[in-house]
Amino acid sequence: MTLLVAATLVALQVAQGPDPRLERLDSISRPIVTALVDSARAAALPTEPLVQRALEGATKRASADRIVAAVRRLALDLGHARDALGPTTSPPELGAAAAALRAGAPPVILTELRRIRRESLTVPLAVLTDLVASGVPVDSAAAAVLSLAAKSRDTDLVEFRRAVERDIALGAPPASATAAAVAAAAVQVNAGARQQRPGRP
Amino acid sequence: MFEPDEELIGRVVRQLRRPVTVDAGLDARVMEQVRRLPPRRAGGAAHAAWGWLTRPRTVPFLPLGALAVAAVFVAVVLWRLDRPSRPASMSEFGFVVVAPRATTVSLVGDFNDWDGARTPMQRVRKDESVWTAVIPLTPGRYRYAFLVDGVRWLADPAAPAARDDEYGAPSSVVTVGGS
Repeated sequence: MTLLVAATLVALQVAQGPDPRLERLDSISRPIVTALVDSARAAALPTEPLVQRALEGATKRASADRIVAAVRRLALDLGHARDALGPTTSPPELGAAAAALRAGAPPVILTELRRIRRESLTVPLAVLTDLVASGVPVDSAAAAVLSLAAKSRDTDLVEFRRAVERDIALGAPPASATAAAVAAAAVQVNAGARQQRPGRP
Repeated sequence: MFEPDEELIGRVVRQLRRPVTVDAGLDARVMEQVRRLPPRRAGGAAHAAWGWLTRPRTVPFLPLGALAVAAVFVAVVLWRLDRPSRPASMSEFGFVVVAPRATTVSLVGDFNDWDGARTPMQRVRKDESVWTAVIPLTPGRYRYAFLVDGVRWLADPAAPAARDDEYGAPSSVVTVGGS
């Protein structure tokens, strides 16, 4: 029976064929991207981000070389993200983690986030990436997200990111804006925790 | 009236007093018959169903049939592997861009296969330079951009920029949380 299942698996992989959406790629990049997607699937990595990255390149009329390079780099980042976060990580988390790694976050930060937060890591990792994109030094951004991730909801983290971006837009140095927003968010989190504890001051 | 016949009574009494010899195999034959009786329905339908379910059987099958079952199983597993787990919630997100003098504006991104024809944006009646689109999004991180008149790319000034932008044209990022 095991042999039957294995044979069927191989047959289905062959029969499944390339993703029809990749027909939009040019004849040079299509077979390479298809091979990269197949390799990712074989490694149990999510393939949808790779397909989307290739389609983005096709729509933006990027050259075949750039499309292949972008997809290959994303596949590597997804693999590194899974190494840091573990094999049970969800595809959205892996996508966000790959972007965080690309932004310069050390893998150990991802592992630490996984350790301290029980909920999904998608938003904390996205906030970390967005902060770096806003000019916040990666160490400051990572420390800020780590300090908030354990107790904050997704909406709190998004609001934190908006506060930092708002202060930066008003002229505050990115690191200072981050520190101020962390302090404000910590006060709110603590206040929320007190409110959720009835019968205590 | 009936007159008792001494002779008759005597013969009956003698017959009754004769010792009866029982066959030694009687017990075994009786128990064999008992075992052949159908089982008693002590628990009703549930008991009968349980008995049916737990009674061992020999099921003949075709190798082709087993292959078909295995193929269906593998197909389901592959289908599940290649897709993110079903999200608990889907939120509607509004996108707004100011594009004066634009004829068409499309919202394109990871959520619509970067297909410029999939999500055309609508003009706001009060201000014809403002374009909007509302789409449902599941939790995740999405790259997107606005495509103006099919040729010009605009990032969303109200959203974080996509840092990993390898294609030269700007993109933005929207993150949808679950809590």
